[in-house]
Amino acid sequence: MEKEKVIEVKDLVKRFGAFVANDHLTFDVYKGDIFGFLGANGAGKTTAIRILCGLSRPTSGKVTVAGIDAGRPEEIKKRIGYMSQRFSLYEDLTVSENIELYGGIYGMTMKEIRPRREALLERLSFSHYSDMLIRSLPLGLRQKLAFAVAVFHDPEIVFLDEPTSGVDPITRRQFWEMIYETASRGITVFVTTHYMDEAEYCDRITIMNEGRIEALDTPAVLRKKYGTETIEELFVKIARPKTETA
Amino acid sequence: MRKLLFLLKKEFRQIRRNPFMARAIIAVPLLQMLILVPAITFEVKRIDLAVTDYDRSPASRELISKLSGSSFFRISGAPAGQAGADQLLLSGDADIVLIIPDDFSEGLAGIGKPTLQVLADAVNATSAQLGWNYLVSIVRDYNRDVIISSGLAPAAIPGISVSSRYWYNPDLNYKYYMLPGILVILITAIGLLMAGLNLVREKEIGTIEQINVTPVKKWELIASKVIPFFIIGLFDLALGLIVGWIAFDIPFEGSILLFFACAAIFLVAVLGLALFFSTMASTQQQFLFIAFFFVMIFILMSGIFTPSESMPVWAQQFNYVNPVAYLMRINRMVMLKGSGFQDIARDMVALTVLALAFITLAIRAYRKRA
Repeated sequence: MEKEKVIEVKDLVKRFGAFVANDHLTFDVYKGDIFGFLGANGAGKTTAIRILCGLSRPTSGKVTVAGIDAGRPEEIKKRIGYMSQRFSLYEDLTVSENIELYGGIYGMTMKEIRPRREALLERLSFSHYSDMLIRSLPLGLRQKLAFAVAVFHDPEIVFLDEPTSGVDPITRRQFWEMIYETASRGITVFVTTHYMDEAEYCDRITIMNEGRIEALDTPAVLRKKYGTETIEELFVKIARPKTETA
Repeated sequence: MRKLLFLLKKEFRQIRRNPFMARAIIAVPLLQMLILVPAITFEVKRIDLAVTDYDRSPASRELISKLSGSSFFRISGAPAGQAGADQLLLSGDADIVLIIPDDFSEGLAGIGKPTLQVLADAVNATSAQLGWNYLVSIVRDYNRDVIISSGLAPAAIPGISVSSRYWYNPDLNYKYYMLPGILVILITAIGLLMAGLNLVREKEIGTIEQINVTPVKKWELIASKVIPFFIIGLFDLALGLIVGWIAFDIPFEGSILLFFACAAIFLVAVLGLALFFSTMASTQQQFLFIAFFFVMIFILMSGIFTPSESMPVWAQQFNYVNPVAYLMRINRMVMLKGSGFQDIARDMVALTVLALAFITLAIRAYRKRA
């Protein structure tokens, strides 16, 4: 069965002066998938995700997100959710105020926001935090909340830029449960990470190194193809020779 | 539009939760008015005058006592000779040195011509000139007394007597002149710094990126940053005005409504500039540098201290795009002269054009993507 493509990227190039951050990236993401974007720090993951979200302009190449060309970023923005690498909820607003703000910005009314917010807080068992300032919450809770806010308006695709960096293993586990739950609602999840064990949770992964895509397939196929036990070994195999000569 | 309301709600919640903001909104106008208004004055009083009296005659003593009796001069020394006088000028212990030559009283008695020598420290040209003028007028008085008492001329010397009345500020009260200007500085500082820093801070923390990835429109975002500080600016203006009334009994001749209308237009211009500057800066430090640079220029060239009409032509031309210059003029005209809408219409129109231009600039320069 041919799956519907929600992201199509062909020959995407992004240059910053002489530095090539994304070197002819080509990949598709299918609807409802969890798509893992793997790579070491500085491999060009964040650059690519920012282009897909309309935060940055590609130097050349064709990018289509949710059926819309990257040349119309404001249209794309209506259909996506984004959780940036830097924590970006307002620390001086409460949990429910943050949810209200982002619901409102995406065009929801207070009437629509209220019941959904109650349900969300209930589901995350966050109800007793609802009137607490973000500032006073531990990092793990904040990350989970940031994710929940990113999908609060039911986007077609959600982009998560290293959502689990710096959180403890238990929270990471819970976070991935949230990702599964989101994907099961039909929301495509595009997630970057440098934790290779997380790759196993993805439907398909790409491995980036120095701005290029080195491998792209399901984790199982890739392991087989490179003859490695884990994605971590695979990654080392792909990335090591080049980073050492660099 | 509804999105803007959500953004505004967020801004007001954040302002309300920030204890520093609440304090700044109240304290800045109070302190600025109470400190700057009485402190900034052009009146030259208590000029330090050193007198070297080579004559040591009743005539010279009388002249000295006339000088020391005036409120403008304070006799700060009696150097023995030229070298001592120079030293006093150098050390700043004397602003003016008067040298009475040893043939002064002889000259008055009709043997030769009486002369005086005056040396003035003119580092500050204004105070040197004023001091000189005061001194000359006292000497002239003294001269008249000498002529009359000598009986050389009839007591009634015909002359033109000029009687002057100072309009709009009859007592030449510098507080009245400065206060409208200080009010302009107050809302310039409040508007420019608070709004600009607010947006740059969101850039620094990274929250702005989360906003940029939403379909929010640029004008909605800029409006959400302008409106709260617009309200705060007008509030602080009212507070400053009340302080002016209570503390300095400042007269208000014109229409309060007109005054606030002009301030409102001005605030839009300043907030537009602030947000434009903040699009150029990626850190609060950079923003402060840019803002400080421009605020200094705007204020010093606005005519608050020196009349802008006496500035070079290029400086006057610069003032066409200096919002502070317009409001400086408008405030003084409305508050002190009671000028009406027609008197300031041209400035108001120009200010409105600037406000629209700066806001447009801010919206256009704002980048939702890097």
